Amino acid sequence: MAPDDESYVPVEVTDGDVPSQPAGAVLSVRDLRVEFPSEDGLVKAVDGLSYDVFENEVLGIVGESGSGKSVSSLAVLGLLPEKAKISGSVVYRGEELLQKSERQMQALRGSKIAMVFQDALAALNPVFTVGHQISEAISTHRKLSKRELADETVELLDIVGIPNPKRRVDQYPHEFSGGMRQRAMIAMSLANRPDVLIADEPTTALDVTIQAQVLEVFERIQEKTNSAIILITHDLGVVAGMADRVLVMYAGRCVEMGTVDEIFYEPRHPYALSLLASLPRLDRGGRDDRLYRIKGAPPSLIHVPSGCPFHPRCPLARLPEPCATVVPPLAVVAGAEHKAACHFSDELVGMTVDDLRATEVSS
Amino acid sequence: MVFRGDDPHSEAAGPTIGGSGALVELAEDDALPGAVGGLDSSDVVVGEREGKPLTQWKLFWRRFFRHKLAVISALVLLLLVGMALFAPAVTRFEPTAQDLRNIRQQPDGTHWFGTDNLGRDQFSRVIYAGRISLKIGATVALISTLIGTTLGAIAGYVGKWVDQLLMRITDLFLVMPGLAILMVANVKFRGQEIFGFRVSTDNLAILILSFVFWMTIARVVRGLILSLKEKEFVEAARASGASTFRIITRHVLPNCVGPIAVNATLVVGLAILTESALSFLGFGVQPPDVSWGYLVADARGTAGTDYAYMIYFPGLAILLTVLSINFLGDGLRDAFDPQSHH
Repeated sequence: MAPDDESYVPVEVTDGDVPSQPAGAVLSVRDLRVEFPSEDGLVKAVDGLSYDVFENEVLGIVGESGSGKSVSSLAVLGLLPEKAKISGSVVYRGEELLQKSERQMQALRGSKIAMVFQDALAALNPVFTVGHQISEAISTHRKLSKRELADETVELLDIVGIPNPKRRVDQYPHEFSGGMRQRAMIAMSLANRPDVLIADEPTTALDVTIQAQVLEVFERIQEKTNSAIILITHDLGVVAGMADRVLVMYAGRCVEMGTVDEIFYEPRHPYALSLLASLPRLDRGGRDDRLYRIKGAPPSLIHVPSGCPFHPRCPLARLPEPCATVVPPLAVVAGAEHKAACHFSDELVGMTVDDLRATEVSS
Repeated sequence: MVFRGDDPHSEAAGPTIGGSGALVELAEDDALPGAVGGLDSSDVVVGEREGKPLTQWKLFWRRFFRHKLAVISALVLLLLVGMALFAPAVTRFEPTAQDLRNIRQQPDGTHWFGTDNLGRDQFSRVIYAGRISLKIGATVALISTLIGTTLGAIAGYVGKWVDQLLMRITDLFLVMPGLAILMVANVKFRGQEIFGFRVSTDNLAILILSFVFWMTIARVVRGLILSLKEKEFVEAARASGASTFRIITRHVLPNCVGPIAVNATLVVGLAILTESALSFLGFGVQPPDVSWGYLVADARGTAGTDYAYMIYFPGLAILLTVLSINFLGDGLRDAFDPQSHH
């Protein structure tokens, strides 16, 4: 048990002892909170997030901009600026990461847990050849001879499907096309065969054809390495195609979590359902149909709405009681692991996207 | 080849927008030889050396040799430095050997640059003076670049009060009247021991000049690093486990090498010129050491007379060196920038 010390420590670990993880979990996040002090008040970027990632699994994290997707993954890697106040627990294979020193984290970053960034052109160093940068990523953690280093660099480029890798290693990022840059980024993150790969919107900056190719790369990687992949995106299509399980974030919290099928076919949180309803469908509706929209705007993270943070925008909210007063807990709603944070998640059973659209028309 | 024909620079110009990227990808997947995403001709040459990896340095030299003026300047400098280094082999007379029967000889086959009022061979004098002048230029550039880069990098990357402190110190040095300080310091320290070392006048000039030329570089480097550290590739480097030291030295500073090199070359020229000015005023190196500036100052009485060649040759040496170094700086800047199209 943690001592009842009320004085505030920036990194406060809820469980003092060696944290327990479910069997097979590589990375476990428990009650993660990230706050940034700002001039207008405390920004609660992540508010009590918990999840596990298992070996050989793709966990999709979806949510709007500012829902805390990226911040939570940066917190896992310990890459947030110093002013961020982080609490909770991040356990990687039995080791608490939030307690680790910067030096210990450096040894872990890139070797055990690696990250793929969204904008590959910005994330690649313009003055070095792609090959040099991949070698650099390798040699940060492993000491290899020049020959081995060169061979492995070419091999990595080959793994991510860059044609003619022997020639490509000597080119600069600006000589690569967008899709190839992203693949080079992925090659860099794979340099030391990480257990966990965090991909922060890896396909957002790419057009659809290239997206498909990059996603294929991820699938190929997983076949070869069994690593766990955390795929952060706001593209539901990408999640549907790639992820095994999905975590839906809203206002820094997890509002629904489950398998891809559960989330896409039996969503039990109005936000998840609304997201699905707002997807354009080619097979439904006439030319004049307008897209479903979630009314209102994403909430301020400084003044998070009371009760359920989604209640001001929720088509099914019962106001004021209980939606605006009581924070709904994230509870198992069906099966073993399908969880949703809604007071009325039972009422969403069997509700379809069309039913939701109907509520919009009537209201 | 069809894919390349349309617009060879579309890729190199900047971030790709979807359309052209897709085209390139298609080209790759069809595995058309040579049809790899929008390269310019030089890059195709890179590709021809299949299996033999080109190092960063080889690519650097490739770009450098495209800059003709810089290559010529480098050769000129090499020649000047070579002559200074091998001065005894290059010259026929001792620079201090007086020949009172042959004073103020016009340039001829024996005395290429003529002789001075003590009959000393001016060619030898210029070559030997080059040893001092070039040494001062190079060393001052090296020292001030080291000081400036280190302080600028620390200030820029660490930020906060460290940045404030270092930059205020830099300001302090900047507001001091350089030439006056140099003159006072020269008088104060000449012939004195500094930290137990007896410093010759040329080394004294190096020390003093280094102290007035590091500030520009510090400011340039700090500014560069301030903007570079916000770049995503720095975060990517952090995410791949690189330490702060490694990030600064292996990811951030290499991005500054171009501007730093250009600045360093400017300092070489500036140091030689400032030393010349100091020598001219009588505060530079002292005989028996001579620098180009000293030679010009020594011959100032000949201006407007038939013996003005005494000024021309050392003056020409200064001009040639400073010009070459500036062109060299240009070439280096382009060579360090992988995206340059020169």
